[in-house]
Amino acid sequence: MLKRKSGANLLKKDTNQNVIVMSKTLIMYGNQRPLYLAFAIILLTMTSALGQQSVTGVVRDIEGQLAGVSIIVKRSNVQAISNAEGRYRILADVGDTLVFRNVGYMEKEIVVPLSLTIDVVLASAISDLDEVVVVGYGTQTRRNVTGSVSKVDMAETENLPNTNVGQALRGRVAGVQFTDNGRPGQSGSILIRGPRSLSAGNSPLIVLDGIFFNGSLDNINSNDIESMEILKDASAAAIYGSRAANGVILITSKRGKTEKPTVNVNTFYGLSDWVDRMQMLSPERYLEKSMEIRRLEGVPFDPDDPTTYLTLTEAENYRNGKVTDPFDMISQQGRIFSADASLSGKSQSTNYYLSASTARENGLVLDDNSYRTAFRVNLDNKITDWLTLGTNTMFSEIDNSGVPPNLTRAQIKSPFGNWFREDGSPAQFILSEEEGAATLNPLYDNYLATSTNFRTNLFANFYTIVDIPGIKGLTFRVNYSANYRWIRDYQAQRNDPHLPNANTSSASKRNWKAHDWVLENILDYKFKLADNHTFDITLMYGANEDSQESTTASADQLEFDAFGYNRLNVGELQTVSSSAQQVTGISSMARLNYRFKDRYLFTLTARRDGSSVFAANNKFATLPSAAFAWIASDESFLQDVNFLDLLKIRTSYGVVGNQAISPYQSVSLASITRYVYGDVSALGIYPSNIANDDLKWETTYTTNLAADFELFKGRIGGTVEVYDMDTRDLLVERTIPIMTGYSSIWTNLGRVNNRGVEFSLNTVNIRKEKFEWSSSFVFSHNRNKIVSLYGTDADGDGREDDDISNRWFIGHPITVFYDYVFDGIYQEGDELPTGYQAGFARFRDLNGDGQVEAEHDRTIVGQGGQPRYRWGITNNFRYGNFDFSIFINAMQGWIGTFNDMDFSFNSFSPMRPVNIFDFGWWTPENQSNTRPSLAYRQSTLGHNWYSNRSFIRIQDISLAYSFPSTFLTKHSLSNLSMFLSGKNLWTFTDWLGTNPESISADRYPIAKSYTLGFRIGF
Amino acid sequence: MKTLNRIKRQLYIVVLLIVGQSCSSGFLDEVPLSDYSTVGVLTSETGFEAYMTGLHKAARDEMAARDGGRYFYIMASATDVADFGITALHSVDYNNLLTPAAAHVRQVWDWAYQDMFPLANTIISYADDPDLADIWSSVEHKNAMIAEAKFFRAYTHNVLANLYGGVPIADTIYMTPKTDFLRNTREEVLQYARADLEFASQWLPTTVEQQGRIVKAAADHLLTEVCISLGEYDLAVASADKVINSGLYQLMTERFGAKLAEPGDAFSDMFRDGNQNRNSGNLESIYVWQFEDMTPGGQGGSNGNNRLRNWGPWIQRLTDPNGQAGMVRVDSLGTGTGQVRPTNYFLYDVWQDSWHNDMRNSVHNMRRVFHYTNPASAYFGQVVEPKTNPVDTMQNIYPYPRKIEGDVGTLTHTSSAWSGRTYQDFIVYRLAETYLLRAEAHFRMGDLQHAADDINVVRNRANATPIGASDVTEDFILDERARELITEEPRRRTLVRMGRLVDRVRRYSIREITANSIQEHHQWWPIPQSAIDANSSARLEQNLGY
Repeated sequence: MLKRKSGANLLKKDTNQNVIVMSKTLIMYGNQRPLYLAFAIILLTMTSALGQQSVTGVVRDIEGQLAGVSIIVKRSNVQAISNAEGRYRILADVGDTLVFRNVGYMEKEIVVPLSLTIDVVLASAISDLDEVVVVGYGTQTRRNVTGSVSKVDMAETENLPNTNVGQALRGRVAGVQFTDNGRPGQSGSILIRGPRSLSAGNSPLIVLDGIFFNGSLDNINSNDIESMEILKDASAAAIYGSRAANGVILITSKRGKTEKPTVNVNTFYGLSDWVDRMQMLSPERYLEKSMEIRRLEGVPFDPDDPTTYLTLTEAENYRNGKVTDPFDMISQQGRIFSADASLSGKSQSTNYYLSASTARENGLVLDDNSYRTAFRVNLDNKITDWLTLGTNTMFSEIDNSGVPPNLTRAQIKSPFGNWFREDGSPAQFILSEEEGAATLNPLYDNYLATSTNFRTNLFANFYTIVDIPGIKGLTFRVNYSANYRWIRDYQAQRNDPHLPNANTSSASKRNWKAHDWVLENILDYKFKLADNHTFDITLMYGANEDSQESTTASADQLEFDAFGYNRLNVGELQTVSSSAQQVTGISSMARLNYRFKDRYLFTLTARRDGSSVFAANNKFATLPSAAFAWIASDESFLQDVNFLDLLKIRTSYGVVGNQAISPYQSVSLASITRYVYGDVSALGIYPSNIANDDLKWETTYTTNLAADFELFKGRIGGTVEVYDMDTRDLLVERTIPIMTGYSSIWTNLGRVNNRGVEFSLNTVNIRKEKFEWSSSFVFSHNRNKIVSLYGTDADGDGREDDDISNRWFIGHPITVFYDYVFDGIYQEGDELPTGYQAGFARFRDLNGDGQVEAEHDRTIVGQGGQPRYRWGITNNFRYGNFDFSIFINAMQGWIGTFNDMDFSFNSFSPMRPVNIFDFGWWTPENQSNTRPSLAYRQSTLGHNWYSNRSFIRIQDISLAYSFPSTFLTKHSLSNLSMFLSGKNLWTFTDWLGTNPESISADRYPIAKSYTLGFRIGF
Repeated sequence: MKTLNRIKRQLYIVVLLIVGQSCSSGFLDEVPLSDYSTVGVLTSETGFEAYMTGLHKAARDEMAARDGGRYFYIMASATDVADFGITALHSVDYNNLLTPAAAHVRQVWDWAYQDMFPLANTIISYADDPDLADIWSSVEHKNAMIAEAKFFRAYTHNVLANLYGGVPIADTIYMTPKTDFLRNTREEVLQYARADLEFASQWLPTTVEQQGRIVKAAADHLLTEVCISLGEYDLAVASADKVINSGLYQLMTERFGAKLAEPGDAFSDMFRDGNQNRNSGNLESIYVWQFEDMTPGGQGGSNGNNRLRNWGPWIQRLTDPNGQAGMVRVDSLGTGTGQVRPTNYFLYDVWQDSWHNDMRNSVHNMRRVFHYTNPASAYFGQVVEPKTNPVDTMQNIYPYPRKIEGDVGTLTHTSSAWSGRTYQDFIVYRLAETYLLRAEAHFRMGDLQHAADDINVVRNRANATPIGASDVTEDFILDERARELITEEPRRRTLVRMGRLVDRVRRYSIREITANSIQEHHQWWPIPQSAIDANSSARLEQNLGY
């Protein structure tokens, strides 16, 4: 009876559903109720009579419910199919095995439990090689791609608190180096394969939804992004011609995927802290330093009486035991918060994706904050069967307002200062007897100054796709994109009421605006000849323009400071400046993709670019490329190799250009200045730029050879790639003798070679029903060397001259350090060169002539710019509904300058009361052989100090929990998960500064953070 | 049929879109939107005037663009008249002070070759361009423009010749890079300067409307010095005569100018704010760098005249006998940082014969007595007692010439650090020095009487005891220059010019390490390593000893 009852329930409840029950041959649809109901009843009665029961459940994948999944009872071959909501019902016995099958997903077998409920999540079985890849002006399946294209699926990093899309690249793509500068809301830099250019930019071209994106990655909400594709070799990048030499990153935003409108909400919140705080001298060590300096200077002091060697304020605080750590004073609690919501869906004619997001980051330094608000509308509509109109539009605004304290001021602060006045406001100088710009209280400007800094971006791409009627496969697409960027940078300094008879107020407003547009006409024709010849021809013609303008108005000595920057005309001294520039380009492109027998793949591409930034004689560049790929595993002789799912060999050769220089570099320019005659101000002009009529793009010739493989039914997959990139006619801002009147000129010269190997491997190490462990490993090595420079041999030694002035050396990487070789410290009793004393740094006399001098004793002491090796390992563990992931990122084999090791901070006045980093120093009692005495200054020889930048970092750890489908079903959710993640938790390095990865803004600390997040979809 | 028509129309629009673009000829032409081009500017007299103004600004940058004791003030510190005041372990040793990598060694070189010569040579080359012949209102006008540029070119060559010795002569502008510069001899450099100055003397106006512009006397004054360096003493005297006998200039013997109400004398009035330019009544000044508070262009690269900042003692650091802060900032003293500390030779020795009667040693011209200025100090208002701590006496309090004092400018006054900069104009050349140059020329010809006469003109104005012919020696000339011209003349270059740097540093430097470390080769500065490194196609010889 019970069984019958369940059958009756089914009929009552589910007859409105589309799919119900079926035998091998019979499918019943609920809306054809009258006819099939009877059959259903009969069937059910029959099966119940055989002792079978109704097993129910929901099938889903990571996105949501899955319709159309076939469910088969292994024993009886009874089948069912899941409905639009993923529900299914099938007759089976407890102990029977159900097989869940769907195209594109991993087959799954589950034994029917007593509960008679099986909710199942199918894992995508799409081979990496079948997924769709964006290749620029079109898409291809990975299988058919001939060039070097790496796809970054943003789903892989969705459990990480990344606010910048670039962070998803870090260490996860072979050959791509993402360097984070650690500051909130500020993107790092990206280097693909290696630096090619000596002076022009080495940043890749960013293409957002098919359009050159001149904005910043900071402005993009990373949850709006579906995937990123990195075009690495010339064949892949050649369609972007003279902009593509540094590689291309194609960013694709999300589209609607389900017919049911889907809402997704993601949010996370985290706290961050210093990874490593620079170690200043402790108060005790500070006293030691102050005395040691006096001892060296021969200035009398009494070691027992600090008043004889401290300043008045310091002595007083010392007596009162008041000490202050400057980094405590300038720090704030780091925080990160992000929330975004999206609505997406699709119908027969319309696809839409709408989102709004906010990201709020507070850095570790006081008022170093960044808030981003972003909106996106992706919408397209198929108006007729041959015409589609659409848009991808993004609005984003970043608020970086605030005046963070100056870190270089903080790091020299005496531990014995008075940071605040009696009224609680920050003092101008922490030691009132110690004045000077460098010694300003770092909190002083933070207190008196306000700043408003907004970076706004409106990026709208409109497109029309015409499927030319009558000719199958012929489409015409017009893209028009307008990108508006604004910067509002307003500053105001209030009058300090503590300074009598003085007016410290000033204010300024800088408004910057850029407008660039791209117009492209793209004709695409796909057709097949006979069975074996597939063609895809793409033609493009377009133009683009980038205009920028800015106006700055400033006022000093404001009559009233209450208006801040809003009323500059109350300033006694008012100045204005403005500037403008424009870059234009014209492009045409042709590409042929040809497949023979679906396993011999050819791509031929040519692009012709004109750019205004080049000299009149060289406006246009034509850049061709060709690629061939062979899917070897489809050949009959490899059919028998069972473990080999796929083997593809790719090779390409092509030419791409780099035009990344500022406009007007090829023409001679003059700048303006002012002077006074008597009390009359007069405009002055001076030449600022030397002309070069032949300036042109630099050209990179790339050869790429690669193998893609998939083994053991997808358990092991990967790519091995080798390349050789030869860059010629380098755009070089070459140092020239200042006796010409100019310190440098933009010119084309020389040759740089990059060779490298990239390896990526994805493995599924363990795959059990409840437990899965998968790993991915990427490794890249790039060797970069200068092959040729000016082609001169002035010294007649038979080999081409190096350029010592620019530190460019034939046969060596672009960024090397050329310096004296540190050789310990002169100890007492050593023979000392003139002007030296014990405790001074010793440098090696390379040519053994008895003295250390610039001409003969400097050499290459190390490589900077890029590491020799970059690698990353991600391990993912899944147990039931838990996912655990750990990502290790490493860069090894490079050094950097680290002049904080020097004591030249006070070469003028070493007795000034300033603090230093505590790396130790030489004294007669403690004769260090690595650190000089406090009397030593690097400027004697003009050398730098170096530190090893190699590091291995546990970059990301995350633990995520996805709620089970029963729970989701009950609450009508499509997904709900939460995650806990940690960033930058441990770094292993010898680097003496705060962050070996990014040393340009080294004084800004890198944060480690702990984040809790939720994702919910319905 | 209707549909087909529609499609045709659509295609037509698309084709228009494509073709429309390619028709826009000149789309890639590059026209700077907010930058001048040299060729574009130099098409009128106004354009040349703007370049000339740029050149004047560059000339003032010798002092104002690069701040600090190791740039302009190294012309005085570590010489006979002054030492580094603040204790600077590094710089006080000549072996560290002068190296090919030292910042100041490079900065002076770069200033000359990057700031001065290109501007001067651009004006000189373009002014003679036949295509531009029409723009000039007269040949005189054109030649005056060239003459002023040549003055600056000569000025700069002379600076280089008296620091580095022989250097590459900068006689042209470069349109393409050149990497095979060679050094000319010092004599060649000076001869080149002399030729420029002779042209300048011929064509420059005798007086100018615009204060600060170059007059004929400035060229003659410099020509006198250059001729002395070349051993052409007759010519030197003749050139000085042109200035002295022009009737335009006279030593200031009476009080004048803007600060008559304040205590002072004829000498001190020349160094009070507003009293440097000729239109202020100062008939002694010949060439004056212009500064102006709160006026665009009036500030130089580092907000003004930094003479007080560098020469003034760091009195804010002074403690009273109780060990409490003795000083607060007051406008009359400004804010010095004690970078350049006069030597005892200047503070005491040179005044011995006329301590009380030499105006230049009067209370208006030498500040030797200080009072505590901190109202919170028990010693407020009292005279600062003699100090013995070397930090105090070298850096925090010492007598100084009051020429450096000036009104604290509005912006300086309010800037975060009271940086010690003023906006007082700076006299580069004045008639007193012309007399002393002529005296030197007479002396070198053996005409001691004329030498003594010229020196006595200067001494008489100062009420110092006149000297006789037998008193004139090279050392006496240097003493007199110190008394008259301290903080004005680039003392180091004077000593180098006379070949007297090394022996006088050994004799007069009050820092033992400075006196002991200087060696013969320090007479000349090293050629900057950056210049040698960049000159890839030829060897730019380094000076001996470096």
